[in-house]
Amino acid sequence: MLPIVARLFAFAAVVLFATVASAQDARVEAAKKEGKVVWYTSLALPSAEKVAKLFEAAYPGIKVEVHRTGSERILGRVMQELKANIKNVDVVHTSDAGHFVMFKGRGLLTKYTPAGVEGFPAGFKDKDGYYYGLRATVNAIAYNTKALSAAEAPKTWKDLLDPKWKGKLVTAHPGYSGVITTHVAALVNLHGWDYFKQLAQNRPMLVQSAVDPSGVVASGERVVAVNGGDYTFYQTKKKGNPLEIVYPREGVPLVVSPTAIMSFAPHPNASKLFTDFTFSREVQQVMADSEGLYTGHPEVTYPADKPKLSELKLLTVDPEELEKRGEEIRKRFVEIFGA
Amino acid sequence: MTGEGVAAGTPGRLQGIDRALPVWVAVVLVLVFLMALPLGWLVWMSVSTEAAGPTLGHYAAVLQSPAMLKALWNTVVLAFWVGLASVAVGAPLAWLTARTDLPATGLIRALVLASFVTPPFLGAFAWVMLAGPNAGLLNVLWRDVTGAADPLFNIFGMPGLVFVVTTYTFPYVYIMVANTLALIASDLEEAAAILGAGRFTAARTVTLPMVAPALVSGFILSVLQALALFGSPAILAMPAGFHTITTQIWSLFQYPPKIEQAAAISMPLLLATALLLLVQKRVLGRRGYAAVGGKGGQRRTIPLGVWRWPALLGCMVVMACAIFLPYGILAKAAFSRAWAQPLTWSNLTLGNFTFTFFEYSATRSAIVNTLELGIATASVGAVMVALLSYVANRRLIVGHQVVAFLALAPIVIPGVVLAVALFIAYTRPPLVLYGTLAILFVAYLTKEMPVGYAQSDATFRGIPPELEEAGRILGAGRLRILRDVTAPLARSGIIAAWCFIFIGVIRELSASIILFTPATKVMSVVIFDLKEEGQFGAIAVLGLVMLVLTFATVGLVQAVLGRDVLGVKD
Amino acid sequence: MPGVSLKALTRRYGDVAAVADLSLDVKPGELVALLGPSGCGKTTTLRLVAGFLAPESGEIWVGERCLSSPRQVVPPERRRMAMIFQSYALWPHMTVAQNVAYGLRFKPGLARADRERRVTEMLRVVQLGGYEARYPGELSGGQQQRVAVARALVVEPEILLLDEPLSNLDANLREEMRFEIRRLHEAFGITTLYVTHDQAEAMVISDRIAVLERGRVVQVGTADEVFLSPRTRFVAEFIGKTNLVEGVAARPDTVTVGGLRLRVGAGGLTPGARVALSIRPHDIALATPGEATAAGVNTLRGMVERASFLGDSVDYQVRLADSDVVLRVVAPAAQRLRVGEAVALQVDPAACIALAAAEERA
Repeated sequence: MLPIVARLFAFAAVVLFATVASAQDARVEAAKKEGKVVWYTSLALPSAEKVAKLFEAAYPGIKVEVHRTGSERILGRVMQELKANIKNVDVVHTSDAGHFVMFKGRGLLTKYTPAGVEGFPAGFKDKDGYYYGLRATVNAIAYNTKALSAAEAPKTWKDLLDPKWKGKLVTAHPGYSGVITTHVAALVNLHGWDYFKQLAQNRPMLVQSAVDPSGVVASGERVVAVNGGDYTFYQTKKKGNPLEIVYPREGVPLVVSPTAIMSFAPHPNASKLFTDFTFSREVQQVMADSEGLYTGHPEVTYPADKPKLSELKLLTVDPEELEKRGEEIRKRFVEIFGA
Repeated sequence: MTGEGVAAGTPGRLQGIDRALPVWVAVVLVLVFLMALPLGWLVWMSVSTEAAGPTLGHYAAVLQSPAMLKALWNTVVLAFWVGLASVAVGAPLAWLTARTDLPATGLIRALVLASFVTPPFLGAFAWVMLAGPNAGLLNVLWRDVTGAADPLFNIFGMPGLVFVVTTYTFPYVYIMVANTLALIASDLEEAAAILGAGRFTAARTVTLPMVAPALVSGFILSVLQALALFGSPAILAMPAGFHTITTQIWSLFQYPPKIEQAAAISMPLLLATALLLLVQKRVLGRRGYAAVGGKGGQRRTIPLGVWRWPALLGCMVVMACAIFLPYGILAKAAFSRAWAQPLTWSNLTLGNFTFTFFEYSATRSAIVNTLELGIATASVGAVMVALLSYVANRRLIVGHQVVAFLALAPIVIPGVVLAVALFIAYTRPPLVLYGTLAILFVAYLTKEMPVGYAQSDATFRGIPPELEEAGRILGAGRLRILRDVTAPLARSGIIAAWCFIFIGVIRELSASIILFTPATKVMSVVIFDLKEEGQFGAIAVLGLVMLVLTFATVGLVQAVLGRDVLGVKD
Repeated sequence: MPGVSLKALTRRYGDVAAVADLSLDVKPGELVALLGPSGCGKTTTLRLVAGFLAPESGEIWVGERCLSSPRQVVPPERRRMAMIFQSYALWPHMTVAQNVAYGLRFKPGLARADRERRVTEMLRVVQLGGYEARYPGELSGGQQQRVAVARALVVEPEILLLDEPLSNLDANLREEMRFEIRRLHEAFGITTLYVTHDQAEAMVISDRIAVLERGRVVQVGTADEVFLSPRTRFVAEFIGKTNLVEGVAARPDTVTVGGLRLRVGAGGLTPGARVALSIRPHDIALATPGEATAAGVNTLRGMVERASFLGDSVDYQVRLADSDVVLRVVAPAAQRLRVGEAVALQVDPAACIALAAAEERA
């Protein structure tokens, strides 16, 4: 607890200073009048809450309402509310870039370029300027080091098809998680649906969130996670759990998770302030340091024990493709795995 | 003779009208509205199309989808085995505590009650930690002790699901059977004994047939529970790669939502429930579904002899599964950094509490929402069921016969189905409630109506109409009498109805999971959210909060009623 | 003090008419008992009068006010009546004083002190002074009964209705309360309808008795009238024990039963018509054949079939010679006859009551 709190205050002071110095008083005042910003986010709950607390410390008087759930649930939620004419959400952040293609197409997004994204790589930017990648992660394999030695551990995605893993695997669900939707799309492109049909033969345990496999493996309930955001594995490992990460040689699906302000955002000023804040170097650095995420920010440094993105073979899926194939992916996954 | 006079001759028209009539009519209309609007929409939606006229296409889509049929079949399997297992556990337990010299019956009854009010999804969640095939504590222990490679028990899957659901469903059988046994005089058994039947033969040949209706209806109640459950299958079936009908309906709400199909697949569930209740009513005869009332003859306890302690042990094993182990592991998870690791000093933490209450922003608003909804629903519900059962018992308006039917009708509506219906009904005019707490309020009010009504109905049956008539003839109007006589006499019964509704609301998951929006989360939904992300510690903390609230309320009911809520009088 | 007038009341439950075309006049200050077996409609009638039920046809008038008609029913609270229930219907959550005082709350212009004074006075009248603070649950059945009476009388109702008020008391207390209620009636003089199925109770308490059968009044009269001159077989059987003898009128004052001839006091019979005679067991005198005086009017012979000693009397069953008629006879205990003994029976012609010949049987 203490280090986090200390860090938070130190950081808040820095941000406050910067804010005052940059004379954004008018914007901040307008945001304060709105009082809060509603954030639907797929960022893992403790990480999301941390970002929210940092913002609230930096801008006292503006609350962040965090509603954390899986990317696909967020999509369903947003569309359901839209249909019922409920205008609740300001900022949407999911790990399924396809969502934003769809949102953009339906005119549901505000065109807004957050401060400081100029230097971000192209993969983090919508060419039309509606959404930007807040963070990135790669899907990796993780195993329990109490149960397996490094030598026994699977090295590639295909290794997981070995019948010896029957009853020992855990997978998250593309019906819930955008990270996993992207993962399935990438691996289907690489190995085809047959890969998943064979994987299903090993009867993996089905969990929902891409965060959950790390916990399942850490507790020893299953030995190997066949997917999941590597940042959650990294955090779990950092907490001292018996867990190791494998980045398969065939390549790792890169998941860039965009964020955008909705066109109907009830708190537009607070939304912009918050979005700028999340793209600031400081917050991006926190995500890299304590959360183990990758970011598009060119000045962010990464922990020494994490591989650089440039060292990994990345499998990327085009957001347009994700948007088109998302439903098919979820449907076939359910057919193959049963639920 | 003075007083408010009536002029000589034929009285004017207005004088004869019951001045309270608008109140009765209004409350009944509200009831009709509550029931008719969502169910009407549900039926319509199941046959509607965007453009063209009515269609049976959604039914065809559902019935031709192998996944849906499999979910249906899984539900049938689950419900059947839960029913059977609940009878196998609940009936002997009831007999032992009601009829024999089993020690510690008071404790066992208290524990059955605890199991009865435990939210099943909390139990399911606890059992994940206890009997997950690899990390589950019991399986770890089993491996350590025996050196076996395979787990003792895999909670993920149909057998595990049946086990966990049974653990929290057998009290239905227990209540039915124990209440019936309490009414059968020992004379009957003794008459058989005089004719030469042994103690256990008498129990088998005389007692068993007499409790058979209670067994059957306990079986049906358990089946209904299993049919309607959402949380336990979501926690135990989905990770194992199968759906039940409730989780299937819920998954149809994911984007892009297929609400028409959800409505169509709700129908078999609705019909099955209605049918089963009809059968149960037949079996119970005119006693209805509520606990059997009345007084039996004398009852003497049957000595168990050498079986006394083994029987107690058996009861305690059941209670361990229902209460001790799950509560224990929840407490452990709440206070430890890693729930699967031993509870050493270094593993001990209050971090889960600080995270839950101070860092996770959804918690506090969810607790506030839950309490607000609980209090609002219980208060409005208690007033409503009081008025409704009063209207029905005193036959105050034309058509009073349908009041009881309507008020009890929601029993046949599983929570998920009700939520689908409410979602459809209240996301469009005339009443757009989706996105507000109001839709949850309406859902809870509808769902808890039968429980409250049954309690309140029993209360008014216990107040003879003469007590009111005596006041009326002395000059008090109907509303005045309601205030001076009926209300004070019904008070404890209505408070009990309030508590039953409140307990029902704070644990409600299956309707909430479909109707909540991020701004209107309740505790059960937050727990479910946390479960999907594997936040065991925070779930345990919230689970404990929920249990504390529940038991505090149960304590209140018992104090008010002066007896235990299971309805068996000692 | 108004009277009550029931005019051709009808009330059905489903297809069954609980009250059918019932008419009855109760004079001001009179106590009339509605007497009949269960299901005869007496309680329904009382509830119609109280305004708890609406008639399907007919009217109820109190004095110059029409209180019930199919169109219009004045609600109970505005009928200026009071009622005493079989179950007493005391409110368990109120003390005795609160129970009794309740009706006074609806008397406008009655000061609190007056109210209390009247309650105290009324409780003294029913001999419950000092019980003000008790709760009904702390009283005996008889005391509860008195509270119910006090609660009804304290409001000085125009009409008092009693629904089997004594049936929950044990035999001794019941007898005592009969006189008590009669005493109170004489003291207060309230027009009263009293429902009971107990003919002895009706006879002790009431000024007149209305005997009900199947929702109709079959006879109204004083206790003497209904006992001594029952109009129908039903009344004769219901009011006290009686022997019913079926025969044919031979002359306007003679009925033949098999080979027997009986003189009937009233006369006026149509020769050749079937006649039922009611002869009360007490009205038959028994003698051994030797003691019998010369064969007079209505002297019959028979044999004792059964004798039951009842303490102050003996209940005999006697089979008449030359017929299959069996009579019940109650004779003083001083005279004891044995079973199998031949006896002579003598009946005063005035005690042979010819009943309405054509009795409708639905």
